[in-house]
Amino acid sequence: MISKTFMVARWEYIEKIKSKIFIFSVVIMPLITVVFSIVPSLLAMKEDTESRTIGIIDQSGQVTEDLKFSLEERYKLKSGKPNYTLLPIEYNGDVDYSKKYADKLIIGEQIEGCLIVTNNIMSDTVFEYRSQNVGNIKLTERLNRSLREVIIDKKLRNKGLDPSIANILKTSTDIKGIKLTKDGKESEAGFGDVLITSYAFMMMMFFLLITSGQLLVRSMLEEKSNRVVEMLLSSCSSSELMSGKILGLSLLGLTQMTLWVLMGIVAAIKLGTIPIALDHTMIIIVYFVLGYLFYSAIFVAIGAPISTEQEAQLVTSLLTLFLLVPILFAFPVLESPNSAYAKVLSFIPLTTPTMMALRIPIQMPPVWELVATSVVLLLSALGMMWAAGKIFRTTILLTGKRPGLKELIQIVKAG
Amino acid sequence: MLQVTGLRKEYSTVVAVENVSLTVNRGEIFGLIGPNGAGKTTTIRMILNIITPDQGSVFIDGKPYSEQTRNIVGYLPEERGLYRKNKVIHTIIYFATLRGVPVQEARRRAYEWLKRFELLEKAEGKVEELSKGNQQKVQFINSIIHDPQLVILDEPFSGLDPVNQILLKDILMELKDAGKAIIFSTHVMEQAEKLCEKICLINRGNVILDGRLQDVKKRFGNNSVHIEYTGDGAFLSSLPNVKRAMLYENYAELELSDDAPTGELVRALSQRLELRKFELVEPSLHSIFLSMVGGDTVAPKEVKQ
Repeated sequence: MISKTFMVARWEYIEKIKSKIFIFSVVIMPLITVVFSIVPSLLAMKEDTESRTIGIIDQSGQVTEDLKFSLEERYKLKSGKPNYTLLPIEYNGDVDYSKKYADKLIIGEQIEGCLIVTNNIMSDTVFEYRSQNVGNIKLTERLNRSLREVIIDKKLRNKGLDPSIANILKTSTDIKGIKLTKDGKESEAGFGDVLITSYAFMMMMFFLLITSGQLLVRSMLEEKSNRVVEMLLSSCSSSELMSGKILGLSLLGLTQMTLWVLMGIVAAIKLGTIPIALDHTMIIIVYFVLGYLFYSAIFVAIGAPISTEQEAQLVTSLLTLFLLVPILFAFPVLESPNSAYAKVLSFIPLTTPTMMALRIPIQMPPVWELVATSVVLLLSALGMMWAAGKIFRTTILLTGKRPGLKELIQIVKAG
Repeated sequence: MLQVTGLRKEYSTVVAVENVSLTVNRGEIFGLIGPNGAGKTTTIRMILNIITPDQGSVFIDGKPYSEQTRNIVGYLPEERGLYRKNKVIHTIIYFATLRGVPVQEARRRAYEWLKRFELLEKAEGKVEELSKGNQQKVQFINSIIHDPQLVILDEPFSGLDPVNQILLKDILMELKDAGKAIIFSTHVMEQAEKLCEKICLINRGNVILDGRLQDVKKRFGNNSVHIEYTGDGAFLSSLPNVKRAMLYENYAELELSDDAPTGELVRALSQRLELRKFELVEPSLHSIFLSMVGGDTVAPKEVKQ
């Protein structure tokens, strides 16, 4: 009994590991992860190499000089030149005329953007910034900070406050992120590092489940259309065949994961940092194994009745959507990893694996949550396996029209 | 070796197999014949326990189906049944080990069989690179590599050239002499006639004829006539007492109604044709098949709701 399951598993493992789709995904997936997680955050953190010129229409006539000084003093390029230079735009009481002129400069890419300071800086709090690119958060944030300081300074002076006291009040602060682990150790992981690690883990989980799922559906489809399945079922029972397939392909997934972790370690050593903690990896492997069992059971249940390539693609892409859900929530979860929806998604078996892969590197969830989500996932996996076994046995020989959901439920009930 | 009683399988809209019973002994080639869609494949699948019958039982070696049974049964499905992308030698070893042959032994036997089928140089190639006939040979090897006691072959000769047909026939005879029970399913009656001692004709999910081939033929009586002639034989099928006529160029097989006086027929024929040969023969399986099944083929019975 066990030995036949093992035979099937060995066959699936050895034959698939040589397949193009496997080799492709081992190599391609890290590349995609790098492109999708590391590159954007690197770009966001990237320092400018050339000064940016920003126009200013100063209706109050009081801001330009101070703002220019503040910006140029604080933000410098590596070369020592100021990062931002202010270019005053002529203002003759007709703000629309000045704006039109500034717009021309912006579109002509002579200036990066243009800040419009209103007449009444003592009470106004919203100022316009016109640019082709308003998505440069770093720039607008810096501009805002400097502008605020200048205006506060004006307000304080206006109230007759001593400039030295005003300077004390203006002192700005910076936040340096120190990540605390459960045992109280400090690590100087910045936002970017955490983002990279959890994105990488989540993408890894996603690709593992999708590749193995596709391999599983494909292998069933191939055996079905070749009638190999009749040969197989005359040699072993359907449950041996199914569990052998799942076992073989999950070993394949583990191999893939190991290769990736090794690649990651090599890359980390080369880069001089190790963003991946070993204990995290171990826990994530547990979620991978459980998630794999759950998903492969679903893939079997939905894949066994299928007899055409088109249907197989439809089904795999539908399941892909579920795995992608946590990616949509990646940023909110990064901000508050203990929020309600992060927890809810962690308990839904379809999203548990990727959600936990995302959460663990940000902040280790409490132990009870780790245990509870694992148990829920394990029970769902077992239940799904049971149902999949029945569906597999009945539908693997079917060709032609695919049974609908109702019929599948009937099959499970009838057993 | 194999005892099948009262098998029945119903799908949601059709009865694929209504009532099939058969017995196959060791050292016997058993012909399972019938038109397309008669229920042969479903019957075979139930014997192999690939699908569970709604009713009836299958006993192999006097025992109901168990895990051990799988290792003593060999099966050649009608078409394909092979992995395409994998190496020939690997697929053979896989199927052998799956039925309990240790890997080393499987490898040894695989090479032996490949050598016999003159496929040695293809062993390391992919299955999809083989011709249809060669794929059929590999598939046959797959079905017997584990030395099964019961071998079920569905159209094993399809795609084989005459030389390989003879080779396969020789191997089947060897298996038979070695005391294996062989079920041979086909709709090529000439093959069944040459190979089988016993036959079972299935139509519309029921056994409509079974027994030793000789007995079956005797039951149909000596009312078949083979003639060779010169002239236009078109009128032969409209002669009185001729139930069925198969006309070829200068040759015809006539099936006569029971107790038809042959003397009269000879006289009637020689008046209109130049008769070169007139032979009273046993009916061929082919004509038995046609008279039993007739034009009434395919279409399994609808379930009465």
